[in-house]
Amino acid sequence: MPISSLDNMVSAGLFEANKLAEIEVIANDYGYSYVKTALNFGFLTRKKYVAFLEREGFSFVAVREEELDAYYINQCELLELNAILFAPLRKLPDGSLLVAAADPQDDKLKTLLSIRFQMPIKIVAASDLDITWLIHIKRGEYFVKESVFSLMKKDPDYSGLVTFTDRQLIFFFGLLAIIVVLLFVNFMSTALVINLVFSVLFFITILFKLYLSLKGSMAEMNEMVTKEEVATIKDNSLPVYTILLPVYKEDRLIRKLIWNLRSLDYPKGKLDVKLLIEEDDDKTLNAVRNLDFPANFETIVVPFHMPKTKPKACNYGLFFCKGKYLTIYDAEDVPDADQLKKCVALFRKLPDDFVVLQGALNYFNKNENMLTRMFTLEYTYWFDYMLPGLLSLNVPIPLGGTSNHFKFDKLIELGGWDPFNVTEDADLGVRVFEKGYKVGVVNSTTFEEANNEPFNWIRQRSRWIKGYMQTTLVHMRNPAQLIRRIGWWGFLGFNFFITGTSITFLLYPILLLFLLIYAIVKLAFVTALFPEWVLYIATFNLVAGNALMIYVNMLSVFKRKYYELILFGALNPIYWLMHSIAAYKGLWQLIYKPFYWEKTEHGLTKVSSSANVQQLNEAEIVV
Amino acid sequence: MPKNLTKILTILLIVFYVIIAWLLKRDGFEHSSGLFYSEKLMLLFQAKDNTILTLGFTFPSLVFLSALLFVPFGYLFAPVAASIVIIALLFYIIVEEFKLSKFSYKLYVPLVFALFTLHPMFVFAAVTGRKNAIIQLFAFLIFRSFFRYFKRPVTFHLSMASLYITCFIFSNYDFIWLILAFFPFIFLVSLDGVKTNNTQSPLFQYTEMLNNRSLRRKLANRTASLYLIIFLLPLIAVVLFRALNAQFAGSATYFIDSQYANWRISGNRIATNLLVDPVRNNFLFQSQIIIQGFILFLTPLFIAALILFKGKLYELFTVLSMLFYYSLMLLDYKYTLSMGYFLLFIPIALVTICYYGTDKYSIKISSWIFGVATVLTIVMGFYFFRHTDASEEIQFAQEMQSLPSKMGNERVLSESNIVAEYIRGLVSEQNKILIDDASAYDVVVHIGNLNGLILPHEKTFVTVVENPKVAAKYILIAKVLNPTHNLTVLNSYNLSLMQTNKNLHTLLMFETKNWAIYQVE
Repeated sequence: MPISSLDNMVSAGLFEANKLAEIEVIANDYGYSYVKTALNFGFLTRKKYVAFLEREGFSFVAVREEELDAYYINQCELLELNAILFAPLRKLPDGSLLVAAADPQDDKLKTLLSIRFQMPIKIVAASDLDITWLIHIKRGEYFVKESVFSLMKKDPDYSGLVTFTDRQLIFFFGLLAIIVVLLFVNFMSTALVINLVFSVLFFITILFKLYLSLKGSMAEMNEMVTKEEVATIKDNSLPVYTILLPVYKEDRLIRKLIWNLRSLDYPKGKLDVKLLIEEDDDKTLNAVRNLDFPANFETIVVPFHMPKTKPKACNYGLFFCKGKYLTIYDAEDVPDADQLKKCVALFRKLPDDFVVLQGALNYFNKNENMLTRMFTLEYTYWFDYMLPGLLSLNVPIPLGGTSNHFKFDKLIELGGWDPFNVTEDADLGVRVFEKGYKVGVVNSTTFEEANNEPFNWIRQRSRWIKGYMQTTLVHMRNPAQLIRRIGWWGFLGFNFFITGTSITFLLYPILLLFLLIYAIVKLAFVTALFPEWVLYIATFNLVAGNALMIYVNMLSVFKRKYYELILFGALNPIYWLMHSIAAYKGLWQLIYKPFYWEKTEHGLTKVSSSANVQQLNEAEIVV
Repeated sequence: MPKNLTKILTILLIVFYVIIAWLLKRDGFEHSSGLFYSEKLMLLFQAKDNTILTLGFTFPSLVFLSALLFVPFGYLFAPVAASIVIIALLFYIIVEEFKLSKFSYKLYVPLVFALFTLHPMFVFAAVTGRKNAIIQLFAFLIFRSFFRYFKRPVTFHLSMASLYITCFIFSNYDFIWLILAFFPFIFLVSLDGVKTNNTQSPLFQYTEMLNNRSLRRKLANRTASLYLIIFLLPLIAVVLFRALNAQFAGSATYFIDSQYANWRISGNRIATNLLVDPVRNNFLFQSQIIIQGFILFLTPLFIAALILFKGKLYELFTVLSMLFYYSLMLLDYKYTLSMGYFLLFIPIALVTICYYGTDKYSIKISSWIFGVATVLTIVMGFYFFRHTDASEEIQFAQEMQSLPSKMGNERVLSESNIVAEYIRGLVSEQNKILIDDASAYDVVVHIGNLNGLILPHEKTFVTVVENPKVAAKYILIAKVLNPTHNLTVLNSYNLSLMQTNKNLHTLLMFETKNWAIYQVE
């Protein structure tokens, strides 16, 4: 083993010698330096390492503020810089090259650089995080541009860069013009038809959701992967698994994140965890720096580039991944411990065309307030009932924000995520189907933090609904082609589920207002305008639609035995009004700020995730 | 089991029912219930006004809507066709379900087929267009869903049970009280789900739960959840339906109370008309107090199901829940339960035998019990028809007995058909007849079209009743002996009032036992 700081730490009795062999194996597998491996795979704390180097006489340079001659750093590949954690800074007056490195005692690095640059090398110590920041900012331009534009270059039809195509604009404005003309020509009949179309559309969309829930409820007891199957998997047969953790100003959650990652039942050396931090996010970077215990993730700094979205960060992270499979978690996520193993087992079981698996999402703070209860009900029917329903119908499955597990090579083939789509996951789910692949559903849950603050919730939801609108606009650019690719059933499923969701929320307050005017205020013009049968249908559709959605909500409590939540299902109409507010906000943003990423504040809950998740899991076993 | 056997037998069953229905029709037998729906179908397609009232509020909705599917076969045959297909569908589903049991198909196929062809109540339900057919179907489906849930507890089966209960209520509104009748077994299911100490009796578990706050809460939550998931849909459907009735028909109970919307208003009169035969009516009324016992007496198959049953306590309570239902219904002394519903205990018995009837005894003994009970049940069907008080059931029994002897005879027209024939030759657009289809729906449907008729759905109807001379040339009057005499304004009593008070001069043109046609002069 070449000389590095770690050897010296062992000699000084500051590091256990038996860990070196383990580090060596991982470092060789990943092509990383030993120090990087030690710092990012949970072997060594940064504070301890810094203390050791300072004791050795190294003073740390603030590499981000150092003068830098781009000539030298440009001669190094970012992947190499990132793997070994060094940054050539500038030529010193004595003719040597000043290099900042995370491991100033790395003789191998020194030899390598002196051969490459044909000059003496002077290595100074610098924080590995600062080096990471610097090298990504200085050398990440190509990668970040690729993460933004590669899908557009490769498959422009799937890119959301253009929100409305010319044909779509012609269609929308043409339709609007026709409606206006018809209203002038025959106001009564046109209003009648619009009313009917709206209310029937509303009702059919909800009926479809009920149908999906019922289909999904049939699979309630199905276990795609059993505990016994997981137990038979041998650790040495497991592949490297990449976890992407895109974060932005989530400094409060970093500690939790480490604990959550530690609880994963997967060999440490085969977990390739990437914490994706934005260039201007010093808060999170410093939180990582100040950790008192070893980090089990690698930090990647995403250079600034518009749009500043999560999919762009994830695309950027793809360049540095080592795994055969890849998943995404949010910082506050608490996945089931055996989730990764289950996914490996399921990928092995399923046919090759299943390229992504969606895990169920749920909330650990479900009982915090009314909003979290409603949110829990919604997520439960969505992930536990609707997604299995969609799967059974072979209809495109919009992926959830996190816990989607990909085959890495297929993800690359698909072009990664669309950085211009603010629900890139839903969009990718549809794209998977369009490309002839399939999405599976794995019986494993990731517990997240439910949004417990109404305005924060509306911000988050407006982004989701805007993303659904974007997804509709992208995939409906050529409806005939979409039908050819995913078939009539898939086409209808896509439109009822994805298009219908946004439209339903937009229509809901209109229909509700209409009903109130008619049934309660009994304004004469409404009865004069529409024949009784139209009002009958409209009333029926709205009331029955609401009732069915309440029912679907209530249905969701059974699988997870959240019986105490069932009565909250009755509040669904109020919850839907909040959706409608978010939908109109999303529509407004779609027109004026289509790529704007509404940031959701995390870490607002006062509920301890680990304690609650444990309680939830126990409840499922005991009850 | 040979492939397609069930399908072939189902088709044979349909053919059998169609032949019986045709022979009965040819012999002049028509059930007033079927005629009621036929007339509503005719109004739906031919009348310009009140489409909402006809389509939306004719009750039981599902019976009417199922008949709607068969309108291409003619208004008169549509309800009968619907009930035939529904009963045949029930046969198909039962036989298919039995495939999952341990019984040999050589046993259950002939037994079930015999029940559907020889049991007079099944034949009656199939060929009359009555709601009994659809009630049997949903009774079977509800219990099948519950049993499936007990075998494999996925919410899907509960949701399906909930949907079927909704359909059940929209086939007979009285079943809304299942919400109470199902309580015992739902509670026991909850009790079983919130497991404490399974080795102890449910009573012990219950006591334990009441003394433990956490378990008490779990039990309450689970019971409430099961209740809501089973009854939320039916309750919301009923509330919505009542609201729509209030909004569009002016009364939340229009669908129950109006003789224009619900056959039962006039049907009860026909079934229990003391004027027709005051001696016989004791059967219905006297049986009320011991109705559960009487039902068991009429359905040995249900007793057999209980004998063969082996399962958990909540499963047993589920099987017994319809008997609880009958007890609850009797709490209202004004309520008279129709005996005809004993039929729904047969599908419930069959599904119970299918799911729980093979584990207690050897399959040979179970088969014997099943077989003997089926034969006895068929016999009891004949017994029922010998003693029934409902005039149309009596008529049906008589017609069925005389069918073989009348095979070559001339076609016989029913009374309403004879009246309709006369009216058809009498009226025109200029010479209209005033008819109240609250009672004369059977006549209206036999006329075949609405030309020349002044009916209640028309806005001018009340005016014309007040002063028939304005628009009507003729009036159809319900005579005193007509069971629906008191349900219509156009009856002999009101006619005499009009003659005296309004100086209305009429001339009797034609009359039958129940009807009279007068010319307004």
